[in-house]
Amino acid sequence: MASLNLQRNLLWIAVALAVWAALPFLVPRNIADLLVFTGIYTIAGLGIGLLLGHCGIVNLAQATFYGLGAYASAYCTVMMGWPSITGFLVGAVISMALAYVIGRPILRLTGYFLALGTLALSAIASALFFEWDWLTGGTLGIGGIPKLDLLGFVLDRPSRYYFFVWIVAFACMWAAHNLVDSRSGLMLRAMRDSSTAAAALSVDLQSLRTRVFVVCALFGSLAGSLFAHHVSFVSTQSFTVDRSITFLLIPVIGGATSIPGIVVGALFITFLPELLSKLGDVHQILFGLALVAVVVLMPDGLMGAWDRFRARLVARGGSDA
Amino acid sequence: MSLSKIARFATALAGLTALAVGAQAQTPAAGEPIKIGAIVSATGAGAGLGIPERNGLLLAEKDINAKGGIKGRPIKMIIEDDASNPDTALSKANELIFGQKVVALLGPSLTASTVAVGGVTHANKVPQIAFTGIGPAVERERKCVAHVLPPQRLNAQALLEYAKSIRATKVGVLHDAGYGNVVMAELRPLADKYGVKLVAVEKFEIGATDTTTQAAKVKAAQPEAVFVIATSATPFRNVKQIQITQPVIAAIGSSSYEYVNAMGTAADNIAIPEFVVGEDPLPHQKAFVDLYKQAYNSTPKNYEAAAWDAAHIIASALNKAGADATNEKLCEAMKAPYSGVLANYDFSADDMTGIPIGSFVFSKLVGGKYTRTPFRVSQ
Repeated sequence: MASLNLQRNLLWIAVALAVWAALPFLVPRNIADLLVFTGIYTIAGLGIGLLLGHCGIVNLAQATFYGLGAYASAYCTVMMGWPSITGFLVGAVISMALAYVIGRPILRLTGYFLALGTLALSAIASALFFEWDWLTGGTLGIGGIPKLDLLGFVLDRPSRYYFFVWIVAFACMWAAHNLVDSRSGLMLRAMRDSSTAAAALSVDLQSLRTRVFVVCALFGSLAGSLFAHHVSFVSTQSFTVDRSITFLLIPVIGGATSIPGIVVGALFITFLPELLSKLGDVHQILFGLALVAVVVLMPDGLMGAWDRFRARLVARGGSDA
Repeated sequence: MSLSKIARFATALAGLTALAVGAQAQTPAAGEPIKIGAIVSATGAGAGLGIPERNGLLLAEKDINAKGGIKGRPIKMIIEDDASNPDTALSKANELIFGQKVVALLGPSLTASTVAVGGVTHANKVPQIAFTGIGPAVERERKCVAHVLPPQRLNAQALLEYAKSIRATKVGVLHDAGYGNVVMAELRPLADKYGVKLVAVEKFEIGATDTTTQAAKVKAAQPEAVFVIATSATPFRNVKQIQITQPVIAAIGSSSYEYVNAMGTAADNIAIPEFVVGEDPLPHQKAFVDLYKQAYNSTPKNYEAAAWDAAHIIASALNKAGADATNEKLCEAMKAPYSGVLANYDFSADDMTGIPIGSFVFSKLVGGKYTRTPFRVSQ
């Protein structure tokens, strides 16, 4: 019985992999482009999901780390003429260092105050991206960021970049899954559900929260660097507080405690506005209504609703039997 | 038949032929439409630009088709909204170029989106006419991405020309951290050449709801004129509140009815170097202004005219190169001088715009209404 289940699971994985590999060749270029953005948003959303779903922290500063990654890639490749990998590394190091330095004091806060603290960080960073035009190009931004080149294979179209972005996304999902499944993951959940009880059990809340915040910043920075190499241009418009709110919506819509939920949330954020845009200028109002509907009707997100639906089906199947 | 009769007959025949050709030119276009893609910011922060641009594009489409289209074939404008987001603009460009197979792309409305989309159009040699001034250095390499709005250096130059005309040599500047910062960067080196001393330069945040402190510092420097460079009505209200009585010269970014209405009583005695004063258009702008008023029951300004020009420029290039011309040929056909409603362009220029300073007109807000001043800069 167990081997039958394993075979069935392996079959599902093989089918999913085949669909994933064939997808960019089966869909039009603009859809492949949206799939690339879905991958990028998944990486950025994963960090927020870890904080929200496993620590109960609302992080409204992800656009800051996303911007740092993007500007690091832009500056290193365009201004300095360094290889692309340096941009990824510099962005990651700066983001993690900032997350640590800022995280230590602000993660002492809880609830709304912590959310406001992260919002303030995002607002300050957004203003600095404007002001430090010698570094960021200000309103005009930095253009001409080269496409990624893997051993002479240039990822210059969405169907090629798709594979790279999603491999990075899968690696991040795997890392997030390991974190959640580890001893630290158990401590995180204990802290989320009762911080007093967790502290009584010698869980170092401050250190744990800071570590997850640093991981979140790393994911944000990676996503930002990937974004910069895809769009070939970065400007302040892409790293505003609005973008932080969009990133927060990903786990809220998809389901903060579920890693596949983050992918679902990223798909929702990327594809729904595109579909609704066919309906004219009211598309943003309709998108807002869709968000409200999901949050009100599915408080655990789309994956939570799906899990409940499946549980009901199983229960009905059991009672029928 | 005598020679004179032959001459009369020939003249009549020529007249009839000319009439027939004229009639043909006015025959509405028919046949398979030529698709032209456009991306505007119809929603989001850039909607103030995108909506007028969309109006200009739709009017131009109607006008071009009514006049026979491209060698008899109509054009079809496929307009997409990027929601003022460069990511969305990129996806929309991919859809229009590879999905809809448009022959050219018009727009987007914002610099960030223009540069993002330029990465795709440049790589695939698709002609693009952006509704922005030329942006970062990378845009100078993109020789098939034209711009129908002036580069910020020219906007800065126009401000200084007006200051010179009123003999203001000590100028204070109040500018925002976005658009204003970019114009300011061009203004500083030019000011010396015009013999203008910038006695106070004060910056404020984009979206600031109060700039009184900055305005007060400008006033304290006792300038002979004040430049306000922003996309907001707030600094104008503050300038009025703290009773700056010196002439105020605003950059084109704040020249829209939306901002003027928001200025309230402060919309008075403000000079603006711009291109279209719908209340008193230049002779070559009158037909467009009348057509626009008829279609939308409102007065057009610069962005409507820019979009109208972009559509006509691409139509002219298509007429020259042929509807089935390759992207390269269409690009080449586009790289020529063009006399538009907004300005006289020369797309073979290094900045892919070629607008001369003489294309500016200088308006003045008097009691909340635009009036055109007689001042022009010689070419």
